[in-house]
Amino acid sequence: MVLPQQAAGQPHPQTPGDSRASKIRTTEIQSPNSPLITLRLILRAGSVNDPKGREGLNALTAYLLAQGGSKDLTYQEVIAKLYPWAASIDVQPDKEITTFIANVHRDHLDKFYPLFSSLLLSPRFDPEDFTRNKDLLLNHLEKGLRGTDDENLGKEALNMLMFGDHPYGTADATVQGLKSITLEDVKQYYTRTYTRARIWLGIAGGYPQTLVDRMQKDFGALPQGDPAPEPLPHPRKIEGLEMLFVEKPARATAISLGHPLAITRKDKDFYPLLVANSYFGEHRTFNGVLMNRLRGDRGLNYGDYSYIEKFTGGVDSSSRFPHVNTPLRQQFFSIWIRPVPPEKAHFALRAALYELDKFVERGLTEEEFQQTRRFLINYSKLWAQTLDRRLGYKMDSEFYGSEDYIDRIDKELKSLTVADVNKAIRKHISPKNLKVAVVAEQAQQLMDAIASNAPSPISYDSPVSERILEDDKAISKFPLAVNKSASRVIAVKELFENRGL
Amino acid sequence: MHAVIKGVCLCLLMVSQTAAPVEGSPRKIFPYPIHQTVLDNGFKVISIPFDSPGIVSYYTVVRAGSRNEVEPGLSGFAHFFEHMMFRGTERYSKDQYNQALKSIGADNNAFTTDDYTAYHTLASADALDTIMDVESDRFKNLKYSVEDFKTEAGAILGEYNKNYSSPIQTIFEKLNDAAYQVHTYKHTTMGFLKDIQGMPNQYDYSLKFLDRWYRPEHSALIVVGDVKHPTLVESAKQYYGSWKRGSYTLQVPVEPPQTEERLVEVSWKAQTLPILAIGYHGPAFSDSTVDMPAMDLLSQVVFSQASDLFRQLVIEEQLVEFVQGGQPDSRDAGMFTIFTRIKDPKNIERVRKAVYAAIDEAKTKPVAAERLAEIKSHLKYDFAMRLDNADAIARTISHYVQLTGEPDAVNRVYEMYDRVSPQDILMVANKYFSPNNRTVVLLKQEDAFKKGAEVQHREKQ
Repeated sequence: MVLPQQAAGQPHPQTPGDSRASKIRTTEIQSPNSPLITLRLILRAGSVNDPKGREGLNALTAYLLAQGGSKDLTYQEVIAKLYPWAASIDVQPDKEITTFIANVHRDHLDKFYPLFSSLLLSPRFDPEDFTRNKDLLLNHLEKGLRGTDDENLGKEALNMLMFGDHPYGTADATVQGLKSITLEDVKQYYTRTYTRARIWLGIAGGYPQTLVDRMQKDFGALPQGDPAPEPLPHPRKIEGLEMLFVEKPARATAISLGHPLAITRKDKDFYPLLVANSYFGEHRTFNGVLMNRLRGDRGLNYGDYSYIEKFTGGVDSSSRFPHVNTPLRQQFFSIWIRPVPPEKAHFALRAALYELDKFVERGLTEEEFQQTRRFLINYSKLWAQTLDRRLGYKMDSEFYGSEDYIDRIDKELKSLTVADVNKAIRKHISPKNLKVAVVAEQAQQLMDAIASNAPSPISYDSPVSERILEDDKAISKFPLAVNKSASRVIAVKELFENRGL
Repeated sequence: MHAVIKGVCLCLLMVSQTAAPVEGSPRKIFPYPIHQTVLDNGFKVISIPFDSPGIVSYYTVVRAGSRNEVEPGLSGFAHFFEHMMFRGTERYSKDQYNQALKSIGADNNAFTTDDYTAYHTLASADALDTIMDVESDRFKNLKYSVEDFKTEAGAILGEYNKNYSSPIQTIFEKLNDAAYQVHTYKHTTMGFLKDIQGMPNQYDYSLKFLDRWYRPEHSALIVVGDVKHPTLVESAKQYYGSWKRGSYTLQVPVEPPQTEERLVEVSWKAQTLPILAIGYHGPAFSDSTVDMPAMDLLSQVVFSQASDLFRQLVIEEQLVEFVQGGQPDSRDAGMFTIFTRIKDPKNIERVRKAVYAAIDEAKTKPVAAERLAEIKSHLKYDFAMRLDNADAIARTISHYVQLTGEPDAVNRVYEMYDRVSPQDILMVANKYFSPNNRTVVLLKQEDAFKKGAEVQHREKQ
């Protein structure tokens, strides 16, 4: 049932009638001996809900709630109250969901919770807070991503490129979108979106049952709202290498490439692919083929990894383990080649695609499969060392409609065979049809060289093995089927300016 | 993989700790028992039981960082050497080492700072013996070829390149280079670019670095989690007992007092907001004198989110995206560094004056008792909330072991923090925050300078 909408920007009335309605979705992990309490309040809305021309509305609303005042307290007063407790309130707006993350010591829970809930249920919508948060988001795009963060620039460009006209094909905010957003837009979005149907409570640690009851009651007073996320279309088919070169001043060249996947954690095929990907490019380890061939053998750069899920964004983005609460209904396969010297960029791209080609063609041997499976079964047990992360993984599993991710990895992997893995690779990974994002200075020159399949020989400061030299011969002329009509160079200022690319 | 952790980095500026005021004998802030045994060769074996069933965090700390790079032209070597530690031994080649850790599903990495290098592994407790075997082997028997050495130099340059798109690396390079004349903190942990480019030719020096520093008396093992100390010590004797002491003694040049303000302007080609970094030479870490603890509290008084300066610049006037200031612990006298990113170049001077005014106020106006109590509460809870997993505990203890050689420094320094008075904060504000002791780096987008402006570097007359 959809309740009548309230006047924009007014706090939601907490009426007995509302609180009698259906319970708010809640995920709990009780740990009575822990002195800490962590809350993860998920709003089932993200940048996919941004109206056209208002890209960034979801993110700006979330920041204004988490970094703004409440009806009773200014932002400065909120900070002053949190400070002696060292309590934290963070927000993580993403494509599909927005997560408010709070951590507090149990000594302060009684005073902390009313403050936390008031920020979300009775926001202040102060014009000064609005301006400050809008400036932060604008500067993040215009000066941060465009100017001083080439690795994330490349990854964000790829995310947009892979999905094109699809709702995932727009950045989580755009410059023109943000500039057009008014405080009134934010109030209306809040009223429309922060509803009982979309709120999901996560609670972990040494909390009393009364906290759960109170949260149920308080957030249960929100209007019911509309729960159903819009169905997603299928991403457009990729033909050959469809490349985007972003021209900017850059000491080194950042490269990301990938394509959408048809599966997520909920699907059985995800798990053989998890083993395959770990073998090929496990994030921030020396295990992967890519890391060993590009960095280990040739010293091309600092690291080379592959993924079968989104791995950018999130307040834990520096973690070497899979990030929490950035789930997507449609995932993607990607390769991240960390910045390489410009004169080696062509070779590095070829080397990654050469290895990908071999990987898809030959798959894993029985021994490689056994080693990687054993690794992942043990390694995944390390991912949820804190209550906060355990809660995040649990909620992600529920998002996907799957059992606990780490338990499922254990279960699925134990029954896999090497044939399952190699079949999943061939079924889901394409070595030929990929989107490629390149951040470089003199991008046109690089694009011309790549598109014309010019040779890209490489030399070393010291002797390398015959095996490497033999491979180099093949890599330096490895043909790349660039789809020229679907490839282009853009200036960095064009990126994130408007919806899409 | 294998990261430089800058002695000062934005995310670490606010890190500090203190103890709760307790009547009578001071209560130790560190809530877990610390067991320590020193082997005959000087190697410290430390264990901390923690409720992480089936998991251990395993840190090997070597008390050598970029501070130890005393020879000209060889900056960045502690970090480079950290990379080489993954290149194998006769018993376990690089691939076999990786395979051994992969087989147990370990998370394994390393980092280097100004003062130390840490090698860390998070893994199943029943794999402890395997970890001790492969880890002790590489510390005792590391062996790598000239070719491997040169290839790894490429990865170091790659690390430099990946960091380069952010102006923060450049700002630290300029700040340290200008603020220090002779001390090795003059270069960043990453090293001067010209030295990084020359690394492929320094194979022999790398062997010398190994011989000097990778010795038991400069190192410690810290294991946190599902571990029993007597068993750990017995294994440590078996695996590390044959590690031989060295004989090198280090003379780090002593930095003379700075006598006049230094200013550096940096022109940045890509888009950026102006960034102002202001450094003051501060004290060295100590768990027995008040200066460093008082500096930590001062950083909260003047630069925390709850400070007047934050309210003024970030919330009310909205001139900057953030402002923060603090001094990380360091073995020799380090830098208190203030960072702020200014939204409009026309407000740079206004922001600079506001920062100086806040510092001047700290020199004359004692912090109110209530505010000081709030700060101490913040630091106490901040500390408690961070110790929620084995890795974080091991890293915290590693920090104090590398600074002093003793894990219990964590408790001693907290007791010091608890005793810091408003007068102590006034004292350090006046002692360290003079204009003559200051180095300022201003980084702006190229077109914010006059056309054709080059990077300027000058001492104020």
